Order: sequence, then structure tokens, then C-alpha cells
Amino acid sequence: MRRCLECAKKEPNRNCVECNYFIPAGPLRRVPSPPVRVLLEDEYGKQYPGHILVLSTREFGLETEAPIPGRYKIRLQDSLWVEVAGVPFKGKNNVHVFDILYVHRNQETAFRLSKEEYQLLGGSAGELVKEITRRLPEHLQDLVREKLLAEVEKSELINALKVGKVMKYEGGRFRYLSGQADLALPMQEAEKLMRQAIRQAEHRREVIISEDGQKVFDLHGVPFDHKSGGLLAFDITEVIEKERKMHRQEMQAYREAIAAVTGGRLNLANGEEIEKVVSEGTELVKGEVRQTLDIPEARRIIQEFLPSIDRRRWHAIALCLSEALTNALKHAGGGCWQARQSGDTVRVVVQDKGPGIKKSELTRATLMQHYSTKNSLGCGFTLMLYYADYLHLNTGPSGTTLAMDFYVVPAIS
Amino acid sequence: MLKVDVSVARGVCRVVLNGELDVETVPQLQEVVGTVRERTLEVDLSGVSFVDSTGLKSLLDINNDWRQKGGKMLILRPQPDVAEVMRLVGLDRLLEQNTAPVGEEREE
Repeated sequence: MRRCLECAKKEPNRNCVECNYFIPAGPLRRVPSPPVRVLLEDEYGKQYPGHILVLSTREFGLETEAPIPGRYKIRLQDSLWVEVAGVPFKGKNNVHVFDILYVHRNQETAFRLSKEEYQLLGGSAGELVKEITRRLPEHLQDLVREKLLAEVEKSELINALKVGKVMKYEGGRFRYLSGQADLALPMQEAEKLMRQAIRQAEHRREVIISEDGQKVFDLHGVPFDHKSGGLLAFDITEVIEKERKMHRQEMQAYREAIAAVTGGRLNLANGEEIEKVVSEGTELVKGEVRQTLDIPEARRIIQEFLPSIDRRRWHAIALCLSEALTNALKHAGGGCWQARQSGDTVRVVVQDKGPGIKKSELTRATLMQHYSTKNSLGCGFTLMLYYADYLHLNTGPSGTTLAMDFYVVPAIS
Repeated sequence: MLKVDVSVARGVCRVVLNGELDVETVPQLQEVVGTVRERTLEVDLSGVSFVDSTGLKSLLDINNDWRQKGGKMLILRPQPDVAEVMRLVGLDRLLEQNTAPVGEEREE
């Protein structure tokens, strides 16, 4: 019971089990997961990276290239560093046992890690959270612990997926705790977020794009007390990329289905395509719709400006323009329209800045053939699909553009 | 622009429309029809040059309304363009129509 002799000297009345230093039997019993990354610094200031693979309060099992025998300092926190000495002949390859010679804390020096330090390095998240919140007023402890644990649990999951990084913020500095160590975070933004979280004493979250625009990070700042907190950072670039890709694939599937059903006459256009579509040919006339009265007015204007065409064709154009404008008015509170011509094609374009047609509604909105007696979905698209020779539709959260092509044959007078 | 004329004869209400029936003028038709108490309603479309889906929807709504009350609605003499639009959206099968010229449409 060498471990307990020291305590017994200091506080002979205390039971060993209550002692801050009491760790149940067995040396080097704690395996931190993942290994804790540290730097070993020799007396000349030369640094060797290492991992704490296993630890007790008196020893570290370190994986490092640092020469043995040798004495090194390992900084664990700003105010906590340990001096260790490699034990020759105890170990294999570059994994060795290092004795802890001194533990330097703020004001004091000890010969072993405290329970709190030990748990910080090797303990489970639950124990760490418990330690961190130990000094909080009792009525707050449970609440804070619960919240912290929820966050840490998330981060543990993220840890397992190897896409996140957990850091502790204290006294204006970040210290790496676990997760993906090489994740290059926008630290300025992270610190801003962390400060906000601490100042407002509440969880803050922000999605931040890296300066070069290549990475997207999901940052969570969790305050511990008035000057420290935890930062959880997730690289969600891939997730976002995947979402975008899925969206593109989904749109492609819709596009093909809609094109197939309409005999290739309804083209679900992407942003680039639609830009080209609305700028081809020459503009004949344009207008805006803000109220129902503007719709018959638009029909009148377009008739005035269209080259003399067959009456039936004119009816088709007037009807399709009405349908598209009515949709824009109903779903987006209004929009603008224009008529363009290239060769013997008249293109009528209606654009709005509404919320767009939902993907799930897209096929129904565009392909539903008839009114049903129970549930009257608009049948405007049915009419546009019938009367227009070709339709280009682009829809998204920032608006909808519909372009309708009509082959026009000059009226025989 | 829509002109709505209402006349009642032998328990039948006839609404004669002239002009365009669309999102702008549908409220006019609905207002007039809302005051009709007769069980049979005839809507004369011969003077209607333009109907869009909103206009057709209002006709369908009025039709369903009348059916529910145990009455019936009849569409009279739509112009070819309008008839075509009605056929395209399947309204021709939902609405009872009489295309015969005015005055000969009722067998008595």
C-alpha cells in the first residue's frame, strides 16, 4: 500500500477510499480512448510528439520516439504540467513506461496526478462532466451535467465517426481534448462563438464556411462557467456535399421521369439552363403581376405585341400565360412575365420569387391530369402541357421560372 | 371583364355570362350565384371567349354545390376554345352540358 502511505502521513484520519489520490489496485489500468496526444519536451526544449496509451496516477504508458533514458516535461493544461522519466527496459519498440516524477499545478507540486487530472486524461466523459460541474451550486449541477452530457454524447458519437473535434476553452485558449486532431478550424470564428456562449451562458451553434470556401463546419459552443467552455466542431463538408449530390440525383430522376411522361416536352431545367432559356431570342414585351386585375391586362398586352398569329394559337398563349401568372400570384404573391421571339417560336416566360414547388409535389403539380371531384388540385399545368409545344421549369426555394414555347404560324389573312 | 345577367323562368335560373371567366372575374360569378335559390341552374357560356382553370374550377364548385343541395347545374353552349379546355381537364364528363342553340335546348 505504498500509494496510501503518503496520504496517511498527511491526513491520518482519512479513509483511503475518500482520498483524492486513491485509485484502486493495479498499475497502468486506465486506457484513454482515443489515446491522448501530448508533446514531450526535453531539457533543451526539443519536442517529441507522443500518445498516452495507458495511465495510472504515477505512470504513463507512452508511445513516442523520445529517447530513453531521459527526462521530459509534458504540458497537459496551461496550469498543469508533469515531469516524467522514461524507464529503460520496460516497454517494446517505441512504447515505454514513463514514471511521473512531479505534477506541477498552479501553486503546488505533487508526485502524482490528482483524481480529477487522472479522470480528465483517462476517464469517461461522464466522469469528466461530473468533475467539471463539481463546484457548481448544487441546484445547477444536474441541469448542467445533463446538458453537457447530451453534448458530449453527441461528440462521442462524432468521435466514433471520426468527423469531429472536441476542445476545451479556458482563459482565452483552446486545448484539444479528443476527436479529429488535425481538423483545421477557423479559430477566430470558433473563439467568437465560444465567447458568446460563455457570455450568454448558453449553448451556441453556428455553421461556418472556411475562408477558402472549401470546408463547412458545424460549431457548438457549450459554456462550463464564466470563463471556460467546450467547443465541439464537426466537419460537415461531406454531409453537405452528399446532400447536394442527392438533391442533384433526385432532380435528375424527376427530370427523366417528367421528360418521359411528357414525351420530352417538359424539361426540368437547372439554374444554368434556365438562364440561357430566358435570355434567348429578342424580347417583345414584358410586364408584372401584383393583383388579379393584372392578369387580363397581361393577356391584352401580349396580344397587342405578338406578331399577327392564328387565333387558336393566340388563345393557347393567352391561356398558358394566365395559368402561369395565376400560379405566381397564388403561390408567390406575384411575379413578372415576358414574351420573347426567336425565329417562329414565341417564348412566354413567367418568373416569381416564391418558395418554389416542393420536390414531393413536383410530379403531382405538373402531371396530374384532371380535376378530381374531391380534391381540386390546379390543372393549370395540364393545360400548359397541352397548349405549349415545349416547357422549361426551374423551381427552388428562391423562386420558380416557367418558360413556354409556342411555334407560331403567321395567320393567313 | 365579365358581364353576368340572371333571369328566372319556370323555376329555372339562367345565368348568362359575357366576357372572360378567370381569376379576376370568378368572384363576380360566385357573388351572383350565391343569391340563386332555384334548384336548377343554367350557365350560358355562349358569350364567354376565355376561361382558364380558375374559371373552370369555379364552375365545378358551383356544380358540386348544387348537386349537394339536390339540384342540378347545366352548362349551355360553350364556344369551341372553351369547350376544348373543358374537355382537356375532364370537366366535360363532370358537368352536364347542352350545346344546342339557345331556345331549343329544352325538350318540353
